[in-house]
Amino acid sequence: MEFELDEEQRLLRRTVREAIAKVRGRPEAQQWDTYLRLGWLEAPPLELALILEELGYAADPTPFLATATWFAPLTGRLPTGSGTAVFDGAGRYVLDADRADEVAVLTTGGVVVVPGARLAAERVPALDPHLHLAHVDAGHADGAGDLVAEVPDLALLGLAATCVGACRRILDLVLDHVKQREQFGRPLGSFQAVKHKAADMHVAIERARALTHFCALTIAEDDPRRADAAHMAKAAAGECQRLVFRHGLQLFGAMGFTWENELQYYLKRAQACDLLLGSAAVHRKALLVP
Amino acid sequence: MKLTDDPEVEEFRAEFSDFLDAHLPAEAEARERAGSSAHVPEWARRWQRTLFDAGWLLPGQPPEFGGRGATLPQQLAHLEELARRRIYHSFNPQGLGIIAASLITFGTEEQKRRWAVPILRAEITAALGMSEPEAGSDLASLRTRAVPAPDGFVVDGQKIWTSGAHDADVLLTFVRTDPDAPRHRGISALLIPTDTEGVERRPFGSIAAEDDLDFNEVFLTGVRVPRENLVGPLNEGWRVANGSLGHERTLLWLSYAERLEDLLRDSRDTGADQDWYATLRMDLTALRLLGYRQLGEDRDPAEISVLKLLGSEAVQSASLHALEAHGAEGLSHPVRTGPYRHMHHEHFISSWFERYARSFAGTIAGGTSEIQRNIIAERILGLPR
Ligand SMILES: Cc1cc2nc3c(=O)[nH]c(=O)nc-3n(C[C@H](O)[C@H](O)[C@H](O)COP(=O)(O)OP(=O)(O)OC[C@H]3O[C@@H](n4cnc5c(N)ncnc54)[C@H](O)[C@@H]3O)c2cc1C
Repeated sequence: MEFELDEEQRLLRRTVREAIAKVRGRPEAQQWDTYLRLGWLEAPPLELALILEELGYAADPTPFLATATWFAPLTGRLPTGSGTAVFDGAGRYVLDADRADEVAVLTTGGVVVVPGARLAAERVPALDPHLHLAHVDAGHADGAGDLVAEVPDLALLGLAATCVGACRRILDLVLDHVKQREQFGRPLGSFQAVKHKAADMHVAIERARALTHFCALTIAEDDPRRADAAHMAKAAAGECQRLVFRHGLQLFGAMGFTWENELQYYLKRAQACDLLLGSAAVHRKALLVP
Repeated sequence: MKLTDDPEVEEFRAEFSDFLDAHLPAEAEARERAGSSAHVPEWARRWQRTLFDAGWLLPGQPPEFGGRGATLPQQLAHLEELARRRIYHSFNPQGLGIIAASLITFGTEEQKRRWAVPILRAEITAALGMSEPEAGSDLASLRTRAVPAPDGFVVDGQKIWTSGAHDADVLLTFVRTDPDAPRHRGISALLIPTDTEGVERRPFGSIAAEDDLDFNEVFLTGVRVPRENLVGPLNEGWRVANGSLGHERTLLWLSYAERLEDLLRDSRDTGADQDWYATLRMDLTALRLLGYRQLGEDRDPAEISVLKLLGSEAVQSASLHALEAHGAEGLSHPVRTGPYRHMHHEHFISSWFERYARSFAGTIAGGTSEIQRNIIAERILGLPR
């Protein structure tokens, strides 16, 4: 197998980075339009993972993740605007349910698509201020049974890739900080206790990222390992997030504990990616034992 | 990026597999393993020569050095095929992977003919004399001195942890040739035949088994070394040392992946918990993927540190879990309860403590985990020294 990004994929990553940088800070609707115009919603799995990693890196506020990786794989099509999906009968903590144009509801009888406006969705205040989470009354939906088993692989991939992106951003912020901040007459980054934490963050990110790319490949090629690979990717991203959160916040000192520091958005985004659709512990349990 | 295997690599793998089917000696099939170079069975020497002659020893090398000019992915397939069958193709891994490989890169034609080829053909054995009592992680602080003599050097000093030195015919030794130069600049690489007067080797046991004598102290007193044994230019031994370790490291991750694979395979019926399998499988898969990534074009040598750190530490924690899963049974050790027998592969496999204890070799030898973290932080993440 080949495990390096090819020229086209590297080029895509660069273009995605540039496009996101250009629309950053603009109104959400404009960002969303840009993504649609660039055809990102239609990207195949590996390309989608690369896009989502960059969106995670930028703490993207749009409903891209839910639309591309929740709604689309369940319904087999893209929504007319934005979309999301309800995986459990109760409709709790549904990403973007308060603003989606269409909602795919997973029921024992199959997938039902409902216009977003028809569902009474109540936004749940979440720790991550940019995250849209809502409880919806899915009405006739009678629940899908085993949550983890029913969730499409692509939805797990989406959260994992977003999480990896947020973790990369945290590490970059930490690196910038420890190169500049001086104590004891030296930059913090010259202290080995700091270096070793940074190195461990890097390794955890590389591990999670490799498993995320593997998961994307198995989905793209409809390989029989795809479900297993999705559990690995989601679990590894959750574990990575945990280490990166702890070391990342710690290495900023008190400054990392403030609202003003943008670090918080990435920490919270990464944590949310772990908690949605089953945390690392849940997906570790779902992994096959050889 | 793609999951499908490269047909050229698979063809190569199949060819090697056919070769193994046709030529593998029964002893190797029975996994009669030469655990330490102190106890090299005759069949193991013959087997290495068979591989050399057929171009299957170091496939990346040209035919005169036991290879066939194989690409890196093909070399990986070759090692994977050996691992899948649990075959150890050499009893002298340092000699093969580090010393002969360095001589091929840095040696003179005469050094290649006189030392590299015989090492590869298992006619002689070589050991690596880098570490010293006062120079471990800080290798550049080595003190063993070589002073110029009429037609060469006179060497005085001490080496330690020299794996397999007691059984070796030659040592690739790193010595200080210019005491006034900055630390990295005054080092040279010398080949020292172990039968030279003044070379004394004292083997000692490792944590694994008292009679698994692989470690050596090597004392060098007034050792006369001819000028033609200098490897690479004078005072440029640091380049040779880094090149040597580079050889060792390129596919090093695979040996960790193999050990993880073995632990997975051998622990299936131990009742170990699902949570442990989950970690093992994620570590193993990630290690392989990141290793495959190193086969591509835009690889960064510092990335090897990521693989070494991830792999060696994963093996260590997986071995600990396997040991724990066996409870008190994990304490028994076949070699320790009877008269000495050399480490048969079955002994290694059946002692969970042995496997755990040996896992520390990975986090210490060839640069400790702490040193790998420093490399990652400084060379990949750009933190100040
Ligand atoms: C199985 C095995 C086989 C070996 N075979 C050979 C061989 O054939 N030839 C040979 O030359 N050598 C060999 N070695 C030696 C090996 O290269 C050294 O053990 C290794 O480089 C570490 O040096 P040291 O043991 O002196 O430890 P030290 O350098 O004394 O280190 C002790 C501890 O301090 C830590 N430490 C040291 N420096 C730093 C730092 N800057 N920052 C943070 N922590 C630090 C280390 O990580 C380690 O935890 C072998 C070792 C083993 C275990």
